[in-house]
Amino acid sequence: MSHVVAERTNALNKGAGPLSYIRRGGALVSLLPLIPFLAFIGYFLAFPLAFIVRDSFLDNDKHFTLHNFALCFQGVYGHSFLVSVRLSVISAFIGAVAGAFIAHSIMRTGQRTRRAVAATSSVLANTGGVPLAFMFIASFGAQGLVTKLLKFLGWDLYGGSFTLFSAAGVTFVYCFFQIPLMVLIFSPALENMKPEWREASDSLGGTPFTYFRRIAIPVLFPAFLSTSLLLFANAFSAYATARAMTSGTLPLMPLLIGNLVDGNVIANEKHLGHALAVCMIGVSVIVMTIYALVLRYSKVKK
Amino acid sequence: MKRRLSAGNYLVLLCAFAFFVVPMIAAIEFSLRGDQGTTHGLSNYRWILAQEGFGANLFTSARLAAITAILVLLLMVPTIVYLHLGGARWKRIIEFICLVPLVVPVISYAMGVATAMPIFLQSTVYELSFLYVIVTMPYTYRALDVGLSSIPLLTLVEASKSAGATMRQTLVLVVMPSIRSAINGAIFLSVALALGEFTLAVLLHWDTFPTWINNVAQSNVLGAVSLSVFSLVGAWLVVLVVAVGPKSKHSDQNQEA
Amino acid sequence: MSNQHGISVNLQGVTKTYGTVVALNNFNLDIAPGELVALLGPSGCGKTTALRILAGLDTQHSGQILVDGKDIVGVPANKRNMGMVFQAYSLFPTMTVLENIAYGMRVRHISKEKQVARANELLELVGLQETGKRLSHQLSGGQQQRVALARALAIEPSVLLLDEPLSALDAQVRTQLRDEIKRIQTEVGTTTLFVTHDQEEAMAIADRVGVMRHGVLEQCASPQAVYLNPINVSVAKFVGAMNLLPAVVTTNNELEIYGQSVGWRNPDGLTARSGRALVRPEQLLLGSPTTDRPANAIVTNQTFLGPLTRISAKVMSDGNTLHVEMPSIEASDYPIGKNVVVTIQATSVLLDA
Ligand SMILES: Nc1ncnc2c1ncn2[C@@H]1O[C@H](COP(=O)(O)OP(=O)(O)OP(=O)(O)O)[C@@H](O)[C@H]1O
Ligand SMILES: [Mg+2]
Repeated sequence: MSHVVAERTNALNKGAGPLSYIRRGGALVSLLPLIPFLAFIGYFLAFPLAFIVRDSFLDNDKHFTLHNFALCFQGVYGHSFLVSVRLSVISAFIGAVAGAFIAHSIMRTGQRTRRAVAATSSVLANTGGVPLAFMFIASFGAQGLVTKLLKFLGWDLYGGSFTLFSAAGVTFVYCFFQIPLMVLIFSPALENMKPEWREASDSLGGTPFTYFRRIAIPVLFPAFLSTSLLLFANAFSAYATARAMTSGTLPLMPLLIGNLVDGNVIANEKHLGHALAVCMIGVSVIVMTIYALVLRYSKVKK
Repeated sequence: MKRRLSAGNYLVLLCAFAFFVVPMIAAIEFSLRGDQGTTHGLSNYRWILAQEGFGANLFTSARLAAITAILVLLLMVPTIVYLHLGGARWKRIIEFICLVPLVVPVISYAMGVATAMPIFLQSTVYELSFLYVIVTMPYTYRALDVGLSSIPLLTLVEASKSAGATMRQTLVLVVMPSIRSAINGAIFLSVALALGEFTLAVLLHWDTFPTWINNVAQSNVLGAVSLSVFSLVGAWLVVLVVAVGPKSKHSDQNQEA
Repeated sequence: MSNQHGISVNLQGVTKTYGTVVALNNFNLDIAPGELVALLGPSGCGKTTALRILAGLDTQHSGQILVDGKDIVGVPANKRNMGMVFQAYSLFPTMTVLENIAYGMRVRHISKEKQVARANELLELVGLQETGKRLSHQLSGGQQQRVALARALAIEPSVLLLDEPLSALDAQVRTQLRDEIKRIQTEVGTTTLFVTHDQEEAMAIADRVGVMRHGVLEQCASPQAVYLNPINVSVAKFVGAMNLLPAVVTTNNELEIYGQSVGWRNPDGLTARSGRALVRPEQLLLGSPTTDRPANAIVTNQTFLGPLTRISAKVMSDGNTLHVEMPSIEASDYPIGKNVVVTIQATSVLLDA
């Protein structure tokens, strides 16, 4: 029983060296089961990220330079930054508001309906690229069903400047995956709303409006804001849909980077793509920092 | 509990239904058009089946989806269960790490992967699965975390342990069945992503079903629309059957993903 | 069934700290084969901790645990063969009642037929034959706890551990199930440690009651002994109701309480010459007041407790309120507002300085 004796000695030395040593040892030991996960993250996430950050600071001769970043904010690149951010903000806003309404309406349906909606949402939230683009072309394109139907009803969609292939058109199409993503992520927050709150508010003489204003909004606001930021990040990084719809002609960040990567690169801009990618991460990091701050100051949840 | 839907609820749901279903119906109508745009028929679908690479690429993507789902379960379930038990002190850090892929646009990630691990990526297309695990991580983490928070995990694990079960037995026999809907959610997400993912596949020069659709679309618009309908409706049916089809033994948990 | 003779358990000098909190402090407990010991004590005194350490769900910092004379330090929980019943919510939600009960046998790779046979046997033992196919949420709280008990017994445990298994239930189911646990335990003969903070429950079910305080086992004796001969003031105060009456030690080493002399014990070795005497409500008698005595009081309240009634009386001389328990039939003689005299009928009380 020698180790029992040793342990007893440690227990006696409470708070002193030996015990705090054990505690630190405990922290490391408690990390062991996380090794597979950390190794996976390290190799498949941290490692690639380190590489683009490194390359974004190199010129063609592998010397350190900041020139790549200077280019990022000039000319077509600077412009595309603005277009991308604007498009993402608008589609996140529409998606968040519409998605919140839909999630709220679905709350009142039965168990199986909600399951079906969740499953459907997870498919729709992942739609993108050619399938999504062609669905909208088939509906709202010059030959599309909706276009024809509207024409038949006397409204020529293409009479004015409408086109599906503009920034506005792309925003509209993005809603098709933004709204389901909102429904998917916002629903659990709504499900956590206790019916008792509503009942308490009513019995204390509150109107539906006071309930909404005083209880629902304060409780849900953090979840709403953080999900909106998530939608922003989602739209900001969307590539496949924009590419399928505009064949890369719209000035959007992901499309420009894609063009650079795809090969038709002017020699001295080899690492510009890396710098642009890092800039995109930078924007997302700013957004996600807000997300983290919002979460921190909203501990009222649950 | 089932409450009555108000008129406003119906209006919202009707609008949503229209927004999501009209493009699908339009696409279906479009896909049934003949060459002259007048006659309707299944000619476009026959054309798809005749295309070279249809079956092979579909199979590739299906296998990618299966491998991704398995990897997600193997990696994420034990990790998150552990974070809910002994490793609680690491939870905030791991949670943060799992959010990082949201911050990294897929296109940036693709560039990083291409630069950092050129050799790894040349061996086989199925290695894309590892990258898909990373890309879906924010969502799969969340689904599983919510599921585990909704059960008295510690009590169940201790009860199982004192009944003589090993940790592996406890995971498989007790924990995983208890969070089945959360696991389903994580599987939907990873399968849906793997079936539709385009950016990584195309930038890393692999052929999957989505990139194949993209190539085919260049030559035949009608065929491409038919393919879009096929892939979307197909994925939707699969997920719907898994979600609603089998009557769940326990109805107290909500499907959250 | 096996284990007819039970197995002995000895905890020797077990100490456990959480940071600066000492949950168990040199904890000693010996349980004889087949005995049922109830651990009783205020919230946070370390009862659960003791149980979990015995089960192997937590590890002690020092001390030994012997089961059947063998040291089991380092044996993991799933190898200790101890059946545990938790406070609530421990049934596996995805398994039927039978599957829950068979679980321990399943992980031991016992044949399917034997599993089913024994699970049914146990289901009968806890009186739930009809519910085998149900899921846990289709059972009432009391039924769930019976299943949990059956599940713990299914592995033929060397020791049965119960952590407040009845606290989530309502009073009636609680007494019923309590008696049933006692019956089954006697029938099966498994050595059992039962944790509760309900005194009545501990007294009713246990062969011996262990009273804990601040991680120390202060007294472990038969329910009668703990109640009638508490080993020290803190046990006396914790178990059962007590009146605290002003007392002075007289020259012939007796206590003077409201002008009456009473014998006393001094297990804590007090040196103070005055304090408060601990007197149980049933050790006080009420009578009609005669002259102006220090023990004269006025009835201020009556609480009906069923067979007994608790009468509160305010002592005139110092304004203290006393509680007296008497058969309800006699209580009508002492309505609120009546003047009474209080007599102490005890031979050996404790003094709290
Ligand atoms: N995991 C833990 N971390 C820190 N302190 C703990 C932990 N578990 C228990 N404690 C502390 O140890 C002491 C004993 O706890 P324990 O759970 O054994 O009490 P208990 O007697 O079972 O109380 P109750 O009747 O309320 O269940 C308490 O002061 C408690 O705060
Ligand atoms: Mg306890």
